[in-house]
Amino acid sequence: MTNTVTLKVNGEEVTVEQGSSIMDACKQVDVEIPHFCYHKRLSIAGNCRMCLVEVTPGPPKPTASCAMPAMDGMDVKTNSPMAVEARKGTMEFLLANHPLDCPICDQGGECDLQDMAVGYGSDRSRYHEGKRAVEDKDLGPLIKTVMTRCIHCMRCVRFATEIAGIEEFGATGRGENVKVGTYVEKALISELSGNMIDLCPVGALTSKPYAFTARPWELERTPSIDVMDAVGSNIFIDSRAGEIMRIIPAENDDINEEWLANTGRFSYDGLNRKRIKNPQIRKKGKLTDITWQQAFKTLKTKLAKIKPEKIAGLSGGLHSAEDLYSFNRFMKEVIKTDNIDGRLPNISMRGERGGYIMNTPLNEIENADAVLLVGCNPRFEAPLLNTRLRKLASKNIPFATIGEKLDLTYPVTHLNDTPKELEALLDGTSKFSAKLKKAKNPLIIVGAKSALSRVDGGCILGLIEKIVKQFKIITPEWNGFNILHQKTGHIAALDMHVYPTDKGMHTAKIKTALSKNELDVLFIYGDSDAALRDLKGAKFTVYIGTHHDAGAELADLILPSSTYTEKDGWWVNIEGRVQAGQKAVNPPKQAKEDWKIFRALSEELGNKLDFDSLKQLRSLISQTHEAYKNIGEIVKNDMPKKMGVIGKIKQDAFINPITCFYRSNEILRASKTMLECYEQTNPKNIKEAS
Amino acid sequence: MKKTPVLKIEDKVFKNLDGKGDWGIKGYKERGGYKGLKKLLTTEPTKHIEKLKDSMLRGRGGAGFPTGLKWSFMPPADAKRPSYLVCNADEGEPGTCKDRDILRYDPHTLVEGLIVGCYTIGAKASYIYVRGEYYDESSRLNQAIEQAYADGLLGKNILGTGVDVDIYVHLGAGAYICGEETALLESLEGKKGQPRVKPPFPAGYGLYGCPTTINNVETIAQVPPILKNKLDWWKRWGRDNNHGTKIFSVSGSVNKPGNFEAPMSIPLKELIEDYAGGVIGGWDNLQAIIPGGSSTPMLNPAQAETMLMDFDALREEGTGLGTAAVVVMNNDVDLIAVMTRISKFYAHESCGQCTPCREGVGWVYKLMKRLGEGEGTQDEIDMLLGITKQIEGKTICAFADGAMWPVQGTMKHFRHLFEERIKKNKTKKSKVA
Repeated sequence: MTNTVTLKVNGEEVTVEQGSSIMDACKQVDVEIPHFCYHKRLSIAGNCRMCLVEVTPGPPKPTASCAMPAMDGMDVKTNSPMAVEARKGTMEFLLANHPLDCPICDQGGECDLQDMAVGYGSDRSRYHEGKRAVEDKDLGPLIKTVMTRCIHCMRCVRFATEIAGIEEFGATGRGENVKVGTYVEKALISELSGNMIDLCPVGALTSKPYAFTARPWELERTPSIDVMDAVGSNIFIDSRAGEIMRIIPAENDDINEEWLANTGRFSYDGLNRKRIKNPQIRKKGKLTDITWQQAFKTLKTKLAKIKPEKIAGLSGGLHSAEDLYSFNRFMKEVIKTDNIDGRLPNISMRGERGGYIMNTPLNEIENADAVLLVGCNPRFEAPLLNTRLRKLASKNIPFATIGEKLDLTYPVTHLNDTPKELEALLDGTSKFSAKLKKAKNPLIIVGAKSALSRVDGGCILGLIEKIVKQFKIITPEWNGFNILHQKTGHIAALDMHVYPTDKGMHTAKIKTALSKNELDVLFIYGDSDAALRDLKGAKFTVYIGTHHDAGAELADLILPSSTYTEKDGWWVNIEGRVQAGQKAVNPPKQAKEDWKIFRALSEELGNKLDFDSLKQLRSLISQTHEAYKNIGEIVKNDMPKKMGVIGKIKQDAFINPITCFYRSNEILRASKTMLECYEQTNPKNIKEAS
Repeated sequence: MKKTPVLKIEDKVFKNLDGKGDWGIKGYKERGGYKGLKKLLTTEPTKHIEKLKDSMLRGRGGAGFPTGLKWSFMPPADAKRPSYLVCNADEGEPGTCKDRDILRYDPHTLVEGLIVGCYTIGAKASYIYVRGEYYDESSRLNQAIEQAYADGLLGKNILGTGVDVDIYVHLGAGAYICGEETALLESLEGKKGQPRVKPPFPAGYGLYGCPTTINNVETIAQVPPILKNKLDWWKRWGRDNNHGTKIFSVSGSVNKPGNFEAPMSIPLKELIEDYAGGVIGGWDNLQAIIPGGSSTPMLNPAQAETMLMDFDALREEGTGLGTAAVVVMNNDVDLIAVMTRISKFYAHESCGQCTPCREGVGWVYKLMKRLGEGEGTQDEIDMLLGITKQIEGKTICAFADGAMWPVQGTMKHFRHLFEERIKKNKTKKSKVA
């Protein structure tokens, strides 16, 4: 083979692809090379000089293995006296000006410098000169800085410029006085900045909310899935004695790589603030704690004399498949009403999954050669989709948006902000028509909320459908048709058929009925979305949820459920991939796992649902849903024959789906950290937003 | 021993290095400049490269890399990726001032060199990166370029040969490290001037990711005369592998400091006595000589006595020709103070990118300072030498090597000065106690 090279690592022969580094070759034979600046998802800097190895033939000096390409016939020695001496030297230099304040450093226990100093450091210092002290930076409410600890590996800088798209973060000064930070003194505003904390190999950048709260060896680690957006980022929930201490990303190359948006990482303090911990009943306008027995009794009495058609149910965006499956069956089989909807208002989609998910898997997005965004803001709706789009945009392919003009951190062509442009695309008068036509793998992303959840959403989908056909966005080899949802619950609701199946009322109709005071009982299940505001009007409102937010305000009866960290759950993401998250901590006080609530309630109301355990419940779900048989995988999804309707389009502009990234669901709204971020990004505009 | 002849005007490349004649295009042409340029631009570029290889012209910027070989690394012209010739005029090595005189007194030698160079390597554009402090010199250079444009020697279709060359002058901002070729490219691209990790080398991935050759001012200016004359005109000077003429910047304790164009391999003593008017106080008053700019280790008087000034002779003695900036120090000079100052310079100019240099060069300076003041122990002198070895060869670029060599050179010949000072300080202290 011509595109491989064979070399020796510590005497062992290894064959790697041409262009691989020496470090890659070493990894292949399980020879680990210490390093600080190297990171597989960032560009090569080669500046820490910790990964030096001896290479023959070559100059008689050690070589940086992260940067040097492996070549045929190389003889690499990673533990020769030359290599070890070089690393010991580097370590001494790194420690010379490092404060060695490990006992008061949050990185302690998971610090690369600490670990490697054990291998290559000395037990005493030869540096008797004055140590450097560096002024700390104010990087906002999320990142705490102790810049004296910085070892100048520039991982944070490379992440900021390459992944997050923040150009104003970098290094200034020379020699000993190099300083990392924002060029102009100001807070770092990025929805991804938290990842710098993970990237920092020392304690220079640490988590501000987590500061001095725990040591890594005290933490219990639970793998789970983030639900603050619908990307399905893999996370670890680190808890200590039943309390969540922090959330960090877990690696998944197909989804979040190893990043996590700030909302997922820092919102955990919102889990227990404004929290509903007991069933409550409203007496004379005031909520009082009651027991579950009392709550069930109240509900049973209330429902006894009411006709099912006078009852309706709406669900929010932070639910797992199990939650919605049990809610749906509870409403339809126990309450016997068809007035139920878990989708965004005006969304008429149902049926085949291809019609409401992203058909292009996240790890294949990079193959696209033209992109059109319609009424969506991936930067805030799905930040880690945006990082992939950013990579794509850097290839200089045609990239256009229709909708509000946005800063996506990379340059795009803004076509128009109204649906008129869609018609122009079709009749060829849009400047993007030709480019889209030329593309082999065109990618179109349509925002479920901004583009489709409007009164004429069905007609817009009809236009999109035409575009998909005309521009051959779906071919046997490529499916570039994508609907972007911001919340996992809205996708799960479509999967679990949480919508009227017969003549029942959907969201918009339920809202109309409410405004006419025609409903007797309304079940509000979670209230993550602004669309679920203004639900006043039912004679009796039951709120099943976790937080004292808009839904609880209206409720006459509140049933406390659990958050995503408190239950085992199947979470579906934008690609339609179902992933299992595990329970990290118990729900507080009387709060229960959601499915148990509906199951218990069904028995109380005399029509017991046919599952007694999560296992049974899950087997029921996977019997009917293909995607739920293959947890963690992407399944082939059918495309619906017909998606939208042909009708009159209103020429209103698409509205930015997320006006405030840090306040877009009940957990985020309860979080103090997120409030600080909100205040930082909107200093003059502090008002409730979604 | 046969004396090296002093160069006559027709032997020189830089005929107006003393600045006495007209620096402009008229004067340059009167001195024979631009004559035969058309012929050079119609000869096969490969022939030029062969001749340069044969001439053994070695880079005048300090490293002494064979220029013909360097130019032969350039890939053939590609419509998508243009080639560039970048001229390094970021002359910052302490002691060196030769490019400055070329820029202000004979700028057309460089312009002509760039025209020929661009043609030879297949570039249509050339950038001259001029040291920020050389503001006046860059203005002069710009005037020379304007004159050349006006004369049809730059721009499209030069002298009707179909060759296009444009030259752009960029003024740096005062960082020594931007003289390192890849840091220079970064700076030229508008980024922080920090050396790149190599490979890839500039010939494959240079300015804006395109094939690029970077040469020193003097090197480029020497190309046209070499190509115009017979090979022997150049090769009669100097020893094998070290041919031609070279500008030596002689400074320090000499009676007549200045820039002198002299044959390669000239004995150091002749250079100082015949060209620079001799050491102040006579040759016997000599303490040490830095032969090639501040990064080259110094020579003691015994070595200086017989030293030949070329790349190979100096390398054999563990030092280097560097930029051929000869700094002479007689016995009046506080040698440790000089070397400490040089260390301070390097600590100040380290770009701070990679660990050993960022943390180590400053440490070395602080140690030099402390030990030079007699504070410290004998062990720390060994440690200082150990640290220089710990830095040398471990960094991204050659800056740290250049910063360590002078310290190592001091240790080699003048370690006793540190020891004496420490001893003296100790006795003084014990007396006080």
